Amino acid sequence: MQVTAMHFKRKAGENLRNEKLQKALEKLQTKFVDGRAAAIAELPNFEEIRDAATDIRDKVIRNLDRYLLRFEQEATARGAVVHWAETADEVNRIVVEIAHQHGLHKVVKSKSMVSEECGLNDALESQGLDVLETDLGEYILQLAHEPPSHIVAPVVHKSKEEIADLFEEKHQRPRTTQIAELCREAREVLRPGFLSADLGISGANFIIAETGSVLIVTNEGNGRLATTLPRVHVAITGIEKVVPTLEDVSTLLRLLPRSATGQSITNYVSVLTGTKERGESDGPEHFHIILLDNGRSKLLGTELQPMLRCIRCGACMNHCPVYQNIGGHAYGWVYPGPMGSVLTPSFVGLENALDLPNASTFCGECAVVCPVKIPLPDLLRHLRTRQVERQLRPWQERAALRLWAWMAQRPAVYALGTRLAARLLRVFSGSAKRFHYLPGVTGWTSGRDMPAPAGRTFRDLYQSRRPS
Amino acid sequence: MTRMRVGLFVTCLVDLMRPSIGFAALRLLEAAGCEVVVPPAQTCCGQPGYNSGDQKAAKALALKVLQEFDGCDYVVLPSGSCAGMIRVHYPALFKDDPVVIESIKRLSARTYELTDFLVNVAKLQNIPGNYSGSLTYHDSCSGLREMGVQAQPRALLARMPDVKLTEMRESTTCCGFGGTFSVKFGEISTRMADNKCEHIAQTGAGAIVAGDLGCLMNIEGRLRRRGDLDTRVLHIAEVLAGDNGTCK
Amino acid sequence: MSARENILARIGKARGPAAAVDVDLAIRRHQRGPIPPLENDLVKLFSERAIKLASDLAQAGTVAEVPNLIARYLRERDLPMKGVCWPAMAPLDWRGAGIEIEARAARGDDLVGVTGAFLGIAETGTLMLLSGAQTPATVSLLPETHIAVVEAGRIVATMEQAWDRLRVERGALPRAVNFISGPSRTADIEQTVTLGAHGPYRVLIIIVG
Repeated sequence: MQVTAMHFKRKAGENLRNEKLQKALEKLQTKFVDGRAAAIAELPNFEEIRDAATDIRDKVIRNLDRYLLRFEQEATARGAVVHWAETADEVNRIVVEIAHQHGLHKVVKSKSMVSEECGLNDALESQGLDVLETDLGEYILQLAHEPPSHIVAPVVHKSKEEIADLFEEKHQRPRTTQIAELCREAREVLRPGFLSADLGISGANFIIAETGSVLIVTNEGNGRLATTLPRVHVAITGIEKVVPTLEDVSTLLRLLPRSATGQSITNYVSVLTGTKERGESDGPEHFHIILLDNGRSKLLGTELQPMLRCIRCGACMNHCPVYQNIGGHAYGWVYPGPMGSVLTPSFVGLENALDLPNASTFCGECAVVCPVKIPLPDLLRHLRTRQVERQLRPWQERAALRLWAWMAQRPAVYALGTRLAARLLRVFSGSAKRFHYLPGVTGWTSGRDMPAPAGRTFRDLYQSRRPS
Repeated sequence: MTRMRVGLFVTCLVDLMRPSIGFAALRLLEAAGCEVVVPPAQTCCGQPGYNSGDQKAAKALALKVLQEFDGCDYVVLPSGSCAGMIRVHYPALFKDDPVVIESIKRLSARTYELTDFLVNVAKLQNIPGNYSGSLTYHDSCSGLREMGVQAQPRALLARMPDVKLTEMRESTTCCGFGGTFSVKFGEISTRMADNKCEHIAQTGAGAIVAGDLGCLMNIEGRLRRRGDLDTRVLHIAEVLAGDNGTCK
Repeated sequence: MSARENILARIGKARGPAAAVDVDLAIRRHQRGPIPPLENDLVKLFSERAIKLASDLAQAGTVAEVPNLIARYLRERDLPMKGVCWPAMAPLDWRGAGIEIEARAARGDDLVGVTGAFLGIAETGTLMLLSGAQTPATVSLLPETHIAVVEAGRIVATMEQAWDRLRVERGALPRAVNFISGPSRTADIEQTVTLGAHGPYRVLIIIVG
């Protein structure tokens, strides 16, 4: 997907002023935040499960190659073909080759964020393939030519009225804003697509080393349809998604749906191993699994390694007060919110997403809710440190911080400087004792008054009252 | 019984902007029976540099703090975020420095946010201040999530007979300060502050109280810009030690 | 060097001198994670959780009662009295119950599908179905109404127990293990949960025995 993360600030501002979006984003609180809280409360040993899940992910990351090799061995033994891709372009090339190899023309897709990384749909369509997104949210986005704004709820930014308009235009059916009717309409429009497709493309929530299986969680049934009916199934996923055993995946499944949507379990959990068996009437004849790197292996052995634990639940963005106010599109790439603010600069280049690691107050709520304890604020701080090391920060910022640090290490200079500042600011603030405008901090004063200092510093007053 | 020797680190914001908070903290610690020292060379805990990616500056300031508060049994700060810097982040800063790490860990172990110290260490019984009126409490992020401060200020307020505490919706949601974030991402920060002001207004309380001056300045700034000149904006120390919230 | 070799090399290099673990050994342990406390009456727990997830539930003493139970369910909802089923269910007295049934995979226009279930999982009120020549997956997926017959004695507490049973009874995994927890649903539009997306609109679970 094209990167527009460099426009973060402007887009964030636009989104703050977009009343429709703001109304839609209110749903995050009730549906996702409250939903997760209720679902977690059902697990008396939630923290224990969370610790176990974290250990499982860490265990894999420490031995990623070994687990991937075991996965490849098992999957291949069951008739799947395992491909490895270093870049997004390679994934696209492999899928196009598979389509050519098997003479495939019609694709049904079950949601895959990795395929968004690759811009797979565009690549397939430019090769003359017909691609149909089947996850309702992704289908809506396909009609609207928009990218997703959330990794689990892709059209959280749209109202039902906007969707009704879109369906009316594209389906040529009478307009309805009844949600149940819109869903029924989508079912009827998409079903022929499932039945006539020859290639099903999915992601994988996890891949299981023990059995060479691909695991997909869905609610709609489109994941099952897309991986059952077409004669070829291609599953694309990141190399970090491997999990050792069926037991391990059961532990992770206690946390993924609860953290994502507040469900105790998603409606469908499909564990797919190998190809159609003898005598079976459904199932793919060919099963291709593509393992994508695209920058993931580069995080190993660095401070950002914990990011690879991510199970793509979306809890961090649901709970992030910044995301809650600006939505996902401002982040300018596939992954928004706190996890996106780590992944985007890591995958597309620090210099292309300078604002993302800085657009955080480090409130810490993301780390509190992360089911696998990724220390997101620490990772964001690390990216800020890397920006400073690579001299990517504006000189004014560097100068101001340097001046502050210099002064703070020299108490006498500091005492004098602060005494002066306190006195001057107090005097200039007039009778209101606050500033409506203050040069140097207009980011603050454009929306808030700046209270004036009391006039004398604590140090000054303390010394005058209690001379030592 | 020897009194606890407490080093008061007022924080750079309090020193510059609102010394009354420092004096309130001092009064509270003395009321709790502590011997309070205020190391005169104190400046900044290093958090601005740390959060901006300047680890070198943060380390220099940390070592300065280590030295300054050397003779104290405890280090107490009227700020969850600065206390969190020392307690949580100083050890992280020096994790690969075997020479200094043990001293840093000892410093970290004896560093407390003010209300946590008053309730759990000094066990302050009689609240010196008086306050009469309704108020609502904002849980500052670092205080809450790094220092575990949530029950303590409420426990102290509960001992003030004329205080009426009304909890606001989303009291634990960030107010949007975040240090330099408030200036760098002013629009987003303003919106977050505005949301907080809405929640405050919904309680009908006469005052908003919190444990971090950064949050308070941010909230006050937005309240006044919204036209609310009446809601008082107070630090928890001022409420606990002041004369109806006023502390000289 | 191929992509595979490059990726593996990068991973190995990042691990550095630390020894790689014997993953085959680690996997063989099949170590379970922490299980939440669950009540002992598994049928009761399964029923409660299944209902919570919007499945309909019925009890039958014997499997012979199933066709009449289904007939009543369909009539009550004005649903067509015809459908498809797994071959194993064909010998039941469908004709006597007034239902036209065909033992085959489902097509796009079939409206009712009747299956069995390998196991039920009480922790979440979930059905575990295995794909196979005699258990086509489409029967539980394409029709608007899915009816699943599960034996009371085949309701286990957790997914972990289900995997163990599968290993013992079948050895290897079938092509598809489908865990089904109610009717298909979506909340993509305004985060409002709507039952009936691409899969069934309703699921009836009949517990036998």
